Amino acid sequence: MEKTTVCILDDEPIVGDRLKPELEDDGYRVEVFTDSASALDRLDQTCFDVFITDLKMEGVDGMGFLERIKEKCPGSEVIVITGYGTLESAREALIKGAYDFITKPFRIGEIRAAVKKAKKRARRHSE
Amino acid sequence: MQPLQLFKKFFGPKGRDQIPFAELFKRFQDILRKNTAAMELIADMDGKMGGDFVFDRKYLSDSIKKLKELVVGNAYDLNFITNNQFLAIYEVIESLANELEAELSGKVVVRETRRIYHFHQIDEGTEDIVGYKAYNLSKMIHLPKIYFPDGFVASIGCFRDYLAYNNLFEKIATLLEACEKEDKAVGSVSNAICLMILGGDIPPNIRREILNAANKICHGKFEGCYLSVRSSAVGEDGDLSFAGLHDSFLNVRYGELLSAYKKVLASLYNSASLAYRRQMNLFPMEMAMPVLYQRMVPSRVAGVLYTLDPSNPEGAECIVSASWGLGRVVVEGQAATDTFRVLRTPPHAITDQKISTKTWMLAPLKSGSARKVPAELRNKASLSPQEASRIVEAGLILERFFKKPMDVEWSIDDKGRLWVVQARPLRVSRPKRPLRMELDEVLKKQRILLKEKGMIAYRGIGAGPVWIAANSDDLTRFPAGSVLVSHFAPPRLAEIIPRASAILTDIGTTTGHMATVAREFKVPTIVGTGEATRVLQPEQIVTVDAERNIVYEDCIEQLLHHQLLEKPAFEFTLEFQVLRRLLKKIAPLYLTDPTAANFTPKGCRTFHDIMRFVHEKAFQALAQTGADPRHFVRRGGRRLKSQIPLDLILIDLGGGIAETAGRQTYVSPDQITSIPMRAIWAGLSSPHTWNLEPIPIDFKGLMSSVTRVQGSDLLGNSLPGVNLGVIGADYVNLSLPLGYHFTVVEAAVGPKPENNYITFRFAGGVTDITRRSRRATLLMTILEKDGFKVELNGDLVNARAIDLTKEQMSGNLYLIGRLIGFTRQLDILLKNDTDIERYLDKFMHQAGQPDDNQDSFNKEG
Repeated sequence: MEKTTVCILDDEPIVGDRLKPELEDDGYRVEVFTDSASALDRLDQTCFDVFITDLKMEGVDGMGFLERIKEKCPGSEVIVITGYGTLESAREALIKGAYDFITKPFRIGEIRAAVKKAKKRARRHSE
Repeated sequence: MQPLQLFKKFFGPKGRDQIPFAELFKRFQDILRKNTAAMELIADMDGKMGGDFVFDRKYLSDSIKKLKELVVGNAYDLNFITNNQFLAIYEVIESLANELEAELSGKVVVRETRRIYHFHQIDEGTEDIVGYKAYNLSKMIHLPKIYFPDGFVASIGCFRDYLAYNNLFEKIATLLEACEKEDKAVGSVSNAICLMILGGDIPPNIRREILNAANKICHGKFEGCYLSVRSSAVGEDGDLSFAGLHDSFLNVRYGELLSAYKKVLASLYNSASLAYRRQMNLFPMEMAMPVLYQRMVPSRVAGVLYTLDPSNPEGAECIVSASWGLGRVVVEGQAATDTFRVLRTPPHAITDQKISTKTWMLAPLKSGSARKVPAELRNKASLSPQEASRIVEAGLILERFFKKPMDVEWSIDDKGRLWVVQARPLRVSRPKRPLRMELDEVLKKQRILLKEKGMIAYRGIGAGPVWIAANSDDLTRFPAGSVLVSHFAPPRLAEIIPRASAILTDIGTTTGHMATVAREFKVPTIVGTGEATRVLQPEQIVTVDAERNIVYEDCIEQLLHHQLLEKPAFEFTLEFQVLRRLLKKIAPLYLTDPTAANFTPKGCRTFHDIMRFVHEKAFQALAQTGADPRHFVRRGGRRLKSQIPLDLILIDLGGGIAETAGRQTYVSPDQITSIPMRAIWAGLSSPHTWNLEPIPIDFKGLMSSVTRVQGSDLLGNSLPGVNLGVIGADYVNLSLPLGYHFTVVEAAVGPKPENNYITFRFAGGVTDITRRSRRATLLMTILEKDGFKVELNGDLVNARAIDLTKEQMSGNLYLIGRLIGFTRQLDILLKNDTDIERYLDKFMHQAGQPDDNQDSFNKEG
């Protein structure tokens, strides 16, 4: 079976640095980006099964990234991570098709659980 | 009902008639509320140190901002209540806040300016001054059975002086900027800076101080005294693989100490180090190089330990190489050595050994002088199995501490003492086929003993035999490398935490004392599992996965090796390091004793200190409103009606007294709704407590003799002889000048363990200091058995419990209630030290008796 692929976009390098090894331990193939431009370039080439993206970023922000994902990869699932106090934008993200949102700071277990659920759904889409 | 309305009758003390008492009380309530919010915030930040959370720098700056708002707000309230008695506190807050801002921006903030630190002078929280290598060494010095050679550090102060004296600050900053922008610049920038450093002069005062310190550790004799001179760079956070990039020099003679200093400074900027900083995003951190000087050790046998076999890092063995005499032959591969393969699991048996013919050795203390090994020793194993085991045990303690396979230089002297001369991470190649890929299969087959029980207090993996802590255990017998399993998390276990491979508790929180110590020593820890002591058997081998929150049966080497070899350690991320520094200036409570001379605004070293100070002073100001109970009653205080001849006045801040009590002056104990007050009262009024009259004495007379109160000044509370309880739904502050001694209990007990605390202070008595001290010792023993952290100072007892659940806290307060009754005249009876034991038994025996009161606070509260 092909490995599930995960793309992480957050302009704070710490997020990708911490999540990558943990998700790899769970058996995913993980790529990390810290600017939306390079993440969008990568999106043009491939659809990941699961995307994890921050909302507030320079350039194309998380909401823009989400819209592009939904256009190009309707079968992928998107998990949005937000700083606290931005619940309003999290709600907007859900309306625009995000699968789940998690507020920063979060326990690693939370994101592992969210990715696991998102993976199952993404699988169902592709079947 | 609005309890505050009851205070409308209150009028302020003399000189403050213009401010209604109700207003003062409202401010006091605000202080309590803000303190709780601030403590929650601090606990939240501290919890992030366990590695289970992902947080970014925005989280850090937001938290600091909120915290400052709360602390400033409290300072304002305190000055309102006290008529601006403590204006100096604003300045203290401002200066602390500035330091925190600077830390957030990555600058190392150093208050102290000492240039040289001998190891014993290296205090908690000075890692930024002496560098992590020296700091960690100073910590390891306290580990049992391992010796470290004496030494000192030329601190960050020396480094900065050096740059300033040679006008290098600006020049280096400019060059580094170029390097940060462009990868290719690393080599040329490195060269340029190293040349500037080597070409500089050491400021005369630094020269003098280094030479003086060296003089001291050589005891004034330079003949035969050799030192090692090593880097101890700031910002490495104990990750010595970084330090491996900097230079170290061994066997340095007195005359070469200063030139070695410059060489070590220059190596801070070598190209490998700069490249590493780029790679790890560490450029925003200030670069600084404290330098570590250590005396070389005369050794009978010396060598090197690799805690993993570099050629087979996935194996279960360590490699020890050893040779007679000074260790340098082993390090530099100059002569034949013995090699031992030793199991990593205790008791560390030797599985294989190669004994070579050792012809040459370096005579201890005579640098470079080779001499022939005596014939009878040449083919003899240079280590006994016991010695090999001790070396490995020590190495694994270091491995757990540094979270890396270690390369340890050790030596054993003529007296059989084991010295650790140096320890750094061992470079081993990552496994070709990632271990992670096999892990799933391996783990599926393992028996799971505990899964997702409790909370992770410190992330990591540890394995070893289970050691269950019981009260009577002799802690010195704790086998290093064991998994420490405990029902509670009593403070006394702190001393063995550095030697544990992992920790499990039945009860406890991630913000508790034990969790904090575990984080300090990086021991994987899961707290509050509920059943670890029941499920696990003594000496059973287990693997604690404090990442996935699972405890497996057996030692799972693959998991340990994966952790050691493949996983990047979270401790070395920039955010984590910044948080650690911030917390040092926020979380510790240094101002524990309100009677101490430093209990002043200027004495506040952390935000926690400030909160404590504000709370104490605000309470004192409020309580100083009169000496006569009637005075309080007139202003809305209630008298407690009970069988016990204790005239207690209760002041309700809100929710502490049932509404059914209306406005009546007398309330009965069952009308108390304050959770902590109920618990204390249940203990205080339990039949065995108060009925037991240790001595025949006219109790009424005793209670009325308020003029004989002695302890109150000791406690810094110039409170009158009124038994006063300020209560709220989940708060109590009880001052009891009972008879000749004085008791203060303060507690918050609510649903969130992290907000709960009890402080209990006790002092005074009619007898001489010896007897009073006996009573204090008795109190300490009882309180410690119950899990309190207790400090004794003469006859002053300061006890503290934090982070327990509502039920546990109530239980503790019940005990305190009983203690207050039990000990009130005990000092008279404690005629000699053996009486302590006798009365301890008596108290404990009573605790075992059926007692209706015992549950009442939980049932109804």
